[in-house]
Amino acid sequence: MIRAVIVMNTQGKPRLLKFYEFQPPEKQHELTRSVFAVLSGRPDNVSNFVEADAIFGPGTRLVYKHLATLYFVFVFDSCENELAMLDLIQVLVETLDRCFKNVCELDIVFNFNKMHTILDEIIFGGQVLETSSERVLKAVEEISRLEKSSSSVSFVPKSVSGRFGR
Amino acid sequence: MALTGMRGLSVFISDVRNCQNKEQERLRVDKELGNIRTRFKNEKALTHYKKKKYVWKMLYIYMLGYDVDFGHMEAVSLISAPKYPEKQVGYIVTSCLLTENHEFLRMVINTVRNDIIGRNETFQCLALTMVGNIGGKEFSESLATDVQKLLVSSSCRPLVRKKAALCLLRLYRKNPDVVNIDGWSDRMSQLLDERDLGVLTSVMSLFVALVSNNVEAYWNCLPKCVKILERLGRNQDVPQEYTYHGIPSPWIQVKTMRALQYFPTIEDPNTKRALFEVLQRILMGTDVVKNVNKNNAAHAILFEALALVVHLDAEKEMMSQCVALLGKFVAVREPNIRYLGLENMTRMLLVSDVQDIIKSHQAQIIISLKDPDISIRRRALDLLYGMCDVTNAKDIVEELLQYLNTADFAMREELALKAAILAEKFAPDLSWYVDVILQLIDKAGDFVSDDIWYRVVQFVTNNEDLQPYAATKAREYLEKPVLHETMVKVSAYLLGEYNHLLARRTGCTPKEIFIIINEKLPTVTTSTVAIVLSTYAKILMHNHPPDPELQEQIWSIFRKYESYIDVEIQQRAVEYIALCNKGAALVDVLAEMPKFPERQSALLKKAEVAEVDTAEQSAIRIRSQQQTSNALVVTDQRPTEGSLPVSQLGVVRMPSGKMDQTSFQDQGMTKENGVITEVVPQDVPPADLLGDLLGPLAINGSPATAVPVEQRNQNLLSVVEATPEAAGSLALTTVDNQPNSIQPIVNIAERFNELCLKDSGVLYEDLHIQIGIKAEWQAHHGHIVLFLGNKNTSPLVSVQALILPPTHLKMELSLVPETVPPRAQVQCPLEFVNLRASRDVAVLDFSYKFGTAMVYVKLRLPAVINKFLQPISVTAEEFFAQWKSLSGPPLKLQEVLRGVKPLSLPEMANLFTSLHLAVNPGIDTNPNNLIACTTFYSESTRATLCLIRVETDPSDRTQLRITIASGDPTLTFELKESIKEYLVNIPTQTSSAVVAPSQPQSPVTPVAYNDPGAMLAGLL
Repeated sequence: MIRAVIVMNTQGKPRLLKFYEFQPPEKQHELTRSVFAVLSGRPDNVSNFVEADAIFGPGTRLVYKHLATLYFVFVFDSCENELAMLDLIQVLVETLDRCFKNVCELDIVFNFNKMHTILDEIIFGGQVLETSSERVLKAVEEISRLEKSSSSVSFVPKSVSGRFGR
Repeated sequence: MALTGMRGLSVFISDVRNCQNKEQERLRVDKELGNIRTRFKNEKALTHYKKKKYVWKMLYIYMLGYDVDFGHMEAVSLISAPKYPEKQVGYIVTSCLLTENHEFLRMVINTVRNDIIGRNETFQCLALTMVGNIGGKEFSESLATDVQKLLVSSSCRPLVRKKAALCLLRLYRKNPDVVNIDGWSDRMSQLLDERDLGVLTSVMSLFVALVSNNVEAYWNCLPKCVKILERLGRNQDVPQEYTYHGIPSPWIQVKTMRALQYFPTIEDPNTKRALFEVLQRILMGTDVVKNVNKNNAAHAILFEALALVVHLDAEKEMMSQCVALLGKFVAVREPNIRYLGLENMTRMLLVSDVQDIIKSHQAQIIISLKDPDISIRRRALDLLYGMCDVTNAKDIVEELLQYLNTADFAMREELALKAAILAEKFAPDLSWYVDVILQLIDKAGDFVSDDIWYRVVQFVTNNEDLQPYAATKAREYLEKPVLHETMVKVSAYLLGEYNHLLARRTGCTPKEIFIIINEKLPTVTTSTVAIVLSTYAKILMHNHPPDPELQEQIWSIFRKYESYIDVEIQQRAVEYIALCNKGAALVDVLAEMPKFPERQSALLKKAEVAEVDTAEQSAIRIRSQQQTSNALVVTDQRPTEGSLPVSQLGVVRMPSGKMDQTSFQDQGMTKENGVITEVVPQDVPPADLLGDLLGPLAINGSPATAVPVEQRNQNLLSVVEATPEAAGSLALTTVDNQPNSIQPIVNIAERFNELCLKDSGVLYEDLHIQIGIKAEWQAHHGHIVLFLGNKNTSPLVSVQALILPPTHLKMELSLVPETVPPRAQVQCPLEFVNLRASRDVAVLDFSYKFGTAMVYVKLRLPAVINKFLQPISVTAEEFFAQWKSLSGPPLKLQEVLRGVKPLSLPEMANLFTSLHLAVNPGIDTNPNNLIACTTFYSESTRATLCLIRVETDPSDRTQLRITIASGDPTLTFELKESIKEYLVNIPTQTSSAVVAPSQPQSPVTPVAYNDPGAMLAGLL
């Protein structure tokens, strides 16, 4: 199963953390930091795989993708196929890209609640739920409609988020 | 700008982002937490909307790594909100913040259930997601039925059903009873017919979980899986949204092949053929393409297919195809593919027959050892470690040593350990082994654990031929201006022990050696000082003719350390000074260290422990665990005064038994001055070779108490001795004696005695293991099968069986698996050849590990003298002819036994029968006497007739006279002593052990044409 999904920036700031096995906050923080320490030391053009035994316990693997200022990290055990996990990261990224129209870190920072919604449509309790980003998008749009109709909540458009950003 | 609702959240996030440092961030966060806390506390009528905002903020703060110890109640209460947005936040935040056992969850269980069984699909989805993420046992009990209904419902949308499938998986993990196996195998089979690939993705995950727990129940689903693979492989009925870069759902393909790996085999030929066609197509049709994502997806499928092919033990042709593919992958530039290529090739090592092909890629693999990616370097190291055997050990180990110079620190320790293990396991000769370890210490001293250098000292101590070489090497290393401290330790130890062996060489007089070691003394730590002091003491002893100057120098050093702060060193200094004044006694006390008793290398043990991996339940892993076996180590002990020189048989994995006998001997064995390193292939151990090696031995059967405390004690002591510091020191070491906590639940002595009289039964049993025995005897050959039965649900590990064979038995041992799987029984056959008559007993030194407890037992094996007897009936004439010809000692021996267990004659006849002695009634006319005949078989003597006469006294059953005659004086004596043991100390359960009396004592007929009684009397 997938143990954790971590999205963080290249400075090690967490942008999305989801642990499918409960971890107390200080532990989450520590794990995130250890992952960052490993990833930040890796050069470009190397494999996307890292053994995570030392961080998440025996038999765990970590697959990551480094895109612009972000690391997308999936941690999982030996029951999953590494490359399939890498593909799933790609599905997540493609979905975010469609959802936010050229996603950038700011979208993710200010819409971290939306990130949870999207992730919940792709991974469910540590298992792959949906692999078609069209379907994920459809489900997310449906949820957005519901949110809007029952109150006036929408996710923050990029132009606005820029106002708050540095 | 429609920033209405979440403006507060955005502002907060923005504020946190603008914090210059961690301290500012903390202040901002604390302020916000204070604010939220006050709001929750004071504003009783907080709107759902406001609650929502605060709860999101809490989650954000939580993500930043701050503990949020309040507000959980508010988050949970949002689940009951009527409107979707609030409810959604409630569910999402609850599943992030709470553990499955949190008491608040119990309060919402009804709301959750109502959402699940309600009509609102979006609510259903939210509830299922939360339960699927953090549902515990209580949820499992109250919701499983409802979730199952959703999964199989025809009216639900796929969106809901796929979540129901995974939710059920979670509930099943928490409580396996929720899936009733009987009904579920059919239901599962139907679910696998699912057309919607979204639902099928989830169903397949559920299926893998079910099948991994109980394969037997789901055989009916196997053809369905193959159908799915066919459908996806041919791209039939796959909507565009489920083709990922042109490939029909790689995830389902991968998961399906993963599921198939839980089935031990595929019996139906049609299904099998169909599957192999699919696999063949995958193996043939996957090419490296430019699009990275497409490439990944295609190879995800390919690697899973490879794993499945290996699991199914496909024909050789397909296997070779796989290895060829992997060979291609380990050479590609694309790092992910190379990484997986290396990893899968390591897995391939378990397949027989392909090792040679894998070895042909050695050069390529070594290149990956220098890859910029540490992940790839690790894989390459694992593969090289796994593929190493006697044929390529030299190359691989030298490559590892070279790599050690440049390897990153994160890998050095592992690298050093692996190099040391390989060097030990596959050393073509021992001097090479010494070279490798010394180089290791020199290059990566910080990463060389003490175990490694202890081990090299053990080898050198136990192998005389190696000693001058090792001492020379140590002397050479000391020349280096900068030396790692561990190297100082080894060199000092070796030169202390063996400096006299170098005496004639230049630069190697005691004085010169002293000077060069003494140069290092100021820079070393106390543990090394201790060794160096012992070395000086030993140098002093070899100081012939005495060099007063050297003596004075050493003494002054001792005196200096006499008041040293470290008590160990102080003690050594004081004692060595005292010893020096003892004169001749010094030589005795400081004599060379005796040889170490042989035992398993601590390094190999370490490696084995590291290999135990319980996380994976995959079929391959299960199989490979059953395959890996740990060799039996045979020790051959010859008693010398006080010390036990040990020739050591290290057993080594051979390249699939392909080598013929000669190359086997050339490469696998080095024979140096009676010290033999021998290599036994797993498949066919060469019988004669082994037999010859187990030369004359003399070991008396040790008492078969379960855990002889003294033995344990000795063991512990010897362990202590093994560490050179302790060995060199005179300081008394106290040893904690911890007897086994696991006690046998049978009387071992009794069991042994019983098994001496019968051929099958239980030899030993405790809480964890039962050792049964089944034996067959034919002439001088014996065949014993040991049945090691694990009584537990977890495996027994580090299983070791060491046989101490007595001199008269030639033994051939099969391999004992290192792990006995749960509830499994492992058979280990032993072959015996009897060389001559002896009452010595073979001892099985058995140990295993359960949890953290190590259990040792010493068990006598019932391969006793009477097993090599075959009863024979003789006529009176034959008997008397023999009886007469064997006149008097040493061929004929007589003894009066007192204190005999009172046995009636029929009872005694039964005992004799079970001892393989044929009772011959009618030969002796005296009804109180017993005549028995038997033939003794041994390799040297073949059949030898033995005659036995027992004269009893009806008035006093506790005494009798026994006379034994045979053509071999040793046999006569040994047989007499052996029978005496049975008579004087009859095993308590004899009667139950003895098989039905085959030859009941028939009344003796005094009518004989010759009076045999009179004849006998005359002869006696």
